[in-house]
Amino acid sequence: MNNSRQITTLRAAAVISSTIIGIGILSFPRYMADAGGSSAPLVAFTGALISFFSFWLLAALCRRFPKESLFVFSRRLIGRPPAMFFTLIIWLIFLWLTGLTARQFGDVATSVLFNKTPIEATIFLMLLICQLSARRNIIKFSYIHFFYLPLIIGPVLITILISMSDVDLLNLQPVLTAPSASFWKGALEASYLFQSSFIITLLVPFMQLPKQAVRAGAIGIFAAGAVYLLIVIASVGMFGAEETKLLIYPTLETARSAVIGDGFLERLDALFIVIWVISVFTTIYTTYYLAAYLLQNLLAFRDQRMTSSVLLPLVFAIAMLPKNVFETYTWTLLLGKASMILMVGYPALLWAVYGVRRFHKKVIP
Amino acid sequence: MQAWKEKYVSYIKNQKQPSPPPSEPGGEKLSLSLSANLEKLLHGLGQSGDLVVREFLLFGRYQAALVFFSSLVNQEQIQEHILKPLMARSNDHPGLPDKLTELYHYIWNAAVQVTQGTTAEELSALPSEIVKGQLILLTEGSAEALVLDMRQVDTRGVDQPQTEQVIRGPREGYVEKLENNLSLLRYRLQSTDFRIEISPIGSRTQSRVALCYLDSLADPKLVAEAMRRISIIQTDGIIDAGYIEQFIEDQPLSPFPQVQSTERPDKTVAALLEGRVAILVDGSPFALIVPALFNQFFQTIDDYTERFIMGSLIRIIRLIALAFSLFFPALYVSVISFNPELMPTDFAVAISGGRAGVPFPAVLEVLIMEVSMEVLREATIRLPQMIGGALSIVGVLVIGQAAVAAGLASPITVVIVALTTIGSFATPAYNAAIALRMLRFPLILLAGMFGLYGVMIGTILIINHLLFLESFSVPYMSPYIPGKWRDWKDSLVRAPLWWMHSRPSFLHTRDNTRLPASIPGNYTQQILQQGGETNEQFPADHNTAGGSRNQ
Repeated sequence: MNNSRQITTLRAAAVISSTIIGIGILSFPRYMADAGGSSAPLVAFTGALISFFSFWLLAALCRRFPKESLFVFSRRLIGRPPAMFFTLIIWLIFLWLTGLTARQFGDVATSVLFNKTPIEATIFLMLLICQLSARRNIIKFSYIHFFYLPLIIGPVLITILISMSDVDLLNLQPVLTAPSASFWKGALEASYLFQSSFIITLLVPFMQLPKQAVRAGAIGIFAAGAVYLLIVIASVGMFGAEETKLLIYPTLETARSAVIGDGFLERLDALFIVIWVISVFTTIYTTYYLAAYLLQNLLAFRDQRMTSSVLLPLVFAIAMLPKNVFETYTWTLLLGKASMILMVGYPALLWAVYGVRRFHKKVIP
Repeated sequence: MQAWKEKYVSYIKNQKQPSPPPSEPGGEKLSLSLSANLEKLLHGLGQSGDLVVREFLLFGRYQAALVFFSSLVNQEQIQEHILKPLMARSNDHPGLPDKLTELYHYIWNAAVQVTQGTTAEELSALPSEIVKGQLILLTEGSAEALVLDMRQVDTRGVDQPQTEQVIRGPREGYVEKLENNLSLLRYRLQSTDFRIEISPIGSRTQSRVALCYLDSLADPKLVAEAMRRISIIQTDGIIDAGYIEQFIEDQPLSPFPQVQSTERPDKTVAALLEGRVAILVDGSPFALIVPALFNQFFQTIDDYTERFIMGSLIRIIRLIALAFSLFFPALYVSVISFNPELMPTDFAVAISGGRAGVPFPAVLEVLIMEVSMEVLREATIRLPQMIGGALSIVGVLVIGQAAVAAGLASPITVVIVALTTIGSFATPAYNAAIALRMLRFPLILLAGMFGLYGVMIGTILIINHLLFLESFSVPYMSPYIPGKWRDWKDSLVRAPLWWMHSRPSFLHTRDNTRLPASIPGNYTQQILQQGGETNEQFPADHNTAGGSRNQ
């Protein structure tokens, strides 16, 4: 009964997908419209492709070591001190990512949705439920994502489908614009949203079929990518690229404009807020879990119960650091760039070492 | 008065020399002297008002004594089936052996009419046998005792279960006596597979605990785990099955019950047939079923005895009631005090109009009403039934009408509280309903502090807790998480019985097929066809039967 390999491919995909769908839902169309104008959907699609490439690099490596997580086998590949160094960097990145995501969430939540709730309380409560949930093992972690995913995707899809009737196809044309610098920049920014798919490194040792890690990621990334793409299409198609650039939270506006019948389902934005909070929870939960796990790994603790508690004040402090929304946004972009370099660079380095060492002496099975 | 004074004096005297601890194995043997044996036995048992020592002449020849507790045995049967044959003169028993060593053999074979009995040589084993309701026959000149089972305890009749009423289904509920309860199970489950493991738990009460399972179905690991958890219970007394429940559940700090308790034999049998394990305790009219999942607490026998569409609809209604009882007051508080823009305008106006005279903030108002509702509920349960009716009328009047008139609550709050209360009564399992009722209060507080966001945080916490829970290594939210689609047939909706070919996979049963796999999906088609055939055959059969009777 207590077989540790319990995570099915579908559940791994659900983890990745519900992790990716998160904080960005509300403002994502604006960035895409900024970057690509009417070809915003194409920007989003390219971003998903880029992130899938980086994911493939990582997952294909993890697949070679089905019994261990990245942080364990990297020690054998490149030696203990360098591996610890990289683990430390990755930990720092996820620590900051958690804090900044929580801050972004707090900013949006207090300014748009829950005006009367102080931002500290908003952020602290969110981090608190992440902390409490991060004490559990990875199997339970996957249960949570698997449970919430339908609750996230279902209502989002319904809202989008309802608003599709208001989409003017003219707003989406021309579909193809010549890829400019801003196009690629936007695509890269979009791919930052997908970075938490790094969680696959923790999932592989518990998957029933570790060989299918890449497939799980493909399903997860493209399901989430499809949701983002549809949101962009709905928003840009409804308001046009120029107006989308002006809206702070285009998705929320889309949900607000969507009406079924004569006011039969009028307040779709209320539904959307609920969904959004849940989707943000799953995202922050993943990065928090990663941070707690990495700290546990660095300190060689038995499990992450202790480290998850230690992290709470730390992450909360980070979330409180930025002075205003603009600072938060700048820091997030910076962090995104840094982590993008690491997420592509580190697996590439490990691949190289793996190739060389396997070629010369068969140390690694 | 005088007799009691003597008792008091002898009690004080006995306190100074405590009676020896009850039966240790390998203790003292019986001696050949009847009076010595009796004296030691009485010393071991202590003095007790219902202890009977009946001395008589066995077959008119030997000095003998019967020792038993009059409160535990059937005295009429002792007179009829034991004393009467044993006191007969020896010439009524032509085969009476001359040797004392063969005497008990003869008594057992030819004299007494009792189904169960043994002989015992150890004196120290006898007191515990007498306490169980056995009857001891000691004879002068014999170093053995005959132990006969004469236990009879009065029991109430099999009655309709009080806590689990059904519209359509059996009206039998458990009673307190273990044998009766087991017979109710055996009667429904006439299978040689049905195993019952009985052992006493509790150092002082020695309550007999029975573990029931179907040998060819239940997962051996589950049975072993249940036995392990029961066997390590260290306590002095088990009064009810609820005691066992608290010792064996996975997560005692959780508000949610992880062991199902039921008063219904039919429900127990259904659980056994799914591959679960049932635990019964002597003296308790409740059976425990493990593993118990969230889903089970919202299912009733009615779901299965009615047709599947009705069953499914009623299940969904119960889930709506559950959502009412948990979320309604919290949502109400958060919407009217934090996010009134989420309401339709007309409704918002109506609500603020109703709340005009109420001096408290919404959260306080709802809390007052909810708490008084809880008090009312508890009072109605505890009161004798004659007064209960009066109380509920007063309660309804006070809470429903007078509170509004006095400006203590707004009419809409009363509506919300009423919906909540009714919703919580629609959950079939009382303990699960209580869990949700109690979780409602933290949610209201969160709503009062943080609005809709607080409610969502609370909800996420509750759901996460449910996802983390396990009952005997089965995830509590099975079959939803981690789901196999096949198991969903009996979850939120109840699929037709002929669709449910297999048992729940999360129970890891040895034999997974409920229906033979050969029955194709279009079962109704098959029934219709067969029905057609029998309809044709029926008149012919009838004719032949009539014909034979005429001959």
